[in-house]
Amino acid sequence: MEIIIPIIVTLVFAATPILLAALGELVVEKSGVLNLGVEGMMLVGAIAGFAGQFYTGNPYFALLCGAMAGAATSIIFGFLTLSLSANQTATGLALTIFGTGFSALAGAPFSARPIQLMGPLFPAELASHPVLRVVFGYSAPVYFSFFMVFAVWYFLEKTRPGLILRAVGENDLSAHSIGYSVKLVRYLAVLFGGAMAGIAGACFPLLLTPQWAERMTAGRGWIAVALVVFASWRPFRLLGGAYLFGLVMTMELYAKAGGGPLSAIPSELWAALPYLATIIVLVLISIRRDASTNAPACLGKPFLPTN
Amino acid sequence: MLFRLEKRREPSQLMRYLTPVAAVVLTMVVGAIIFSLIGYDGIGAVREIFLTPLTNSYKWQDLGVKAAPLIIIGVGLSIAYRANVWNIGAEGQYVVGGLAGTWVALATHGLNGPWILPLMVLAGVLGGMAYAAIPALLRTRLNVNEILTSLMLTYASVQLIYYLIRAPWKDPMGMGFPQTRLFAEAARLPTILPGTIVHLGVPIAVLVALVAWFIMSRSVFGYQMRVVGTAPHAARYGGFSENKTIWLAMLVSGGLAGLAGVLEVAGPFQRMVPGFPTNYGFTAIIVAFLGRLNPLGVIFAGLVMAITFVGGEVAQTTIGLPNAATGIFQAMVLFFLLGGDLLVRYRVRRVHGAAAPGTA
Repeated sequence: MEIIIPIIVTLVFAATPILLAALGELVVEKSGVLNLGVEGMMLVGAIAGFAGQFYTGNPYFALLCGAMAGAATSIIFGFLTLSLSANQTATGLALTIFGTGFSALAGAPFSARPIQLMGPLFPAELASHPVLRVVFGYSAPVYFSFFMVFAVWYFLEKTRPGLILRAVGENDLSAHSIGYSVKLVRYLAVLFGGAMAGIAGACFPLLLTPQWAERMTAGRGWIAVALVVFASWRPFRLLGGAYLFGLVMTMELYAKAGGGPLSAIPSELWAALPYLATIIVLVLISIRRDASTNAPACLGKPFLPTN
Repeated sequence: MLFRLEKRREPSQLMRYLTPVAAVVLTMVVGAIIFSLIGYDGIGAVREIFLTPLTNSYKWQDLGVKAAPLIIIGVGLSIAYRANVWNIGAEGQYVVGGLAGTWVALATHGLNGPWILPLMVLAGVLGGMAYAAIPALLRTRLNVNEILTSLMLTYASVQLIYYLIRAPWKDPMGMGFPQTRLFAEAARLPTILPGTIVHLGVPIAVLVALVAWFIMSRSVFGYQMRVVGTAPHAARYGGFSENKTIWLAMLVSGGLAGLAGVLEVAGPFQRMVPGFPTNYGFTAIIVAFLGRLNPLGVIFAGLVMAITFVGGEVAQTTIGLPNAATGIFQAMVLFFLLGGDLLVRYRVRRVHGAAAPGTA
């Protein structure tokens, strides 16, 4: 137990940003839009969250900064792909290139200046308890991510706006012809995805390493995109997928700390493992069954009503 | 007064070639405004990034050296994207090409002969192809999305560099630095203009673009790539195999990225270092689009992106603009280009309220 509990706590922390970003991307893709700019939006959220914490010391305000910055970045994507019908794949890539550059520029004055990590949500008696901390030892974004898994599922499956969003993603022309605004629904989905990616990005300086580093999200945004495919667009499967990656990343941390059988493997292989695991997971999902059966039918296609 | 969009019967060829130019001009204007608003010398930034590399003849050799890998990779990507194959892991194929060339250079260290460099180049091309073959295999056999796999392999390739130069390939005389030994003379790319840094890779890049243009516009291969990309159903009907096209697209783009990698390591670097991945593989994505997926256009687009790289370094020293600004300008070019694509397919009509409904 003494070994298991710290591992679980570490993996939950490591998985939370991926889970949050993937939940946002899931909703975006359900509306029929493929935004490959998650990594870029996360980086903008990360620097905004860092700056928020740096200047105010209020982590909730910092998370809000991350959400707003991510959503603001996603507007660029929304405008280009939805209003100007630009190619979604290329625009998403451009957004990631932009986010990488923008965050590096905005973050330049903050390098090597530490901030305060976000503390646990529950009082110290519970949060630092050797056993109970596996339940109570996390900060607010972790519990928020649990809540959002349920909320996204409930929204998509049980509410009327969720039904409309899925209809737009499955058949945009039909949804348009019965009077729903495809563009409005997709704009809102893209904004939600941007806000979630921004919060996910802000988690890096607030929860994991309390400083700003260029490209500190290190490809986690892309892993989030892959997770949505892995989870075949189902929120609860995202939870499992994200924790699987959390476990891989936790093993890397333990291997780097040295000792035990893990350190016999070169540290570089551990660092490459989350990316290789992503490929393996994508392969497994496609062997097991046709992963695309649950994919929204209009995913990635521009909406061009013939008026 | 209102505007409305009207679909063109045919995509406008004029707009196809005008929008890349407009995108660069708009980036300069909007970039100057934005950078001024956030407290930098915006006009100075645009001047240093876009104009100084052109007006200052000392910088021309830098332009050639930076443009060469962008053009070589961009040509390969433009062929792949034509066929709707989204290889975005060119950076990783570039890295593996560079590593394969490094392996030959280290294995032949102490030997001499004119065959070493060609062997390195061959290894680089094969290395890039092999790395691109993984996403190709997964896509054709298991229908795994090549965007994600090629990108994940890029992250993994960087770790491969770190491992190789930290342990097995480490320079014994390197005073602990994680890098390989300096390549022997026979494993270095010669310069073609005495007294400059312009190496053999620069004419190779132009040659690659010209050959690719000829093949794409004059051969069955080029026709196949274009048909599969624009009309997959018609392509199947016409007997072009989609899987074969994916393989060709990945191998050509991966092989060219590998070529760029080995030319970089044998030319400017002359050893493998942790800083070898320089984002050329990602910037080449912008180059391919800015060049309109046409190998000749890629030459110009590669030059434009090289200007921003060289200019970014200039602006860093002259007006203290952080190097990251270059990435923002590059992304803005792509944003404006992608947004401007609308004008290729649609025309903008002015509508004078209800007074002239006939013109709409």
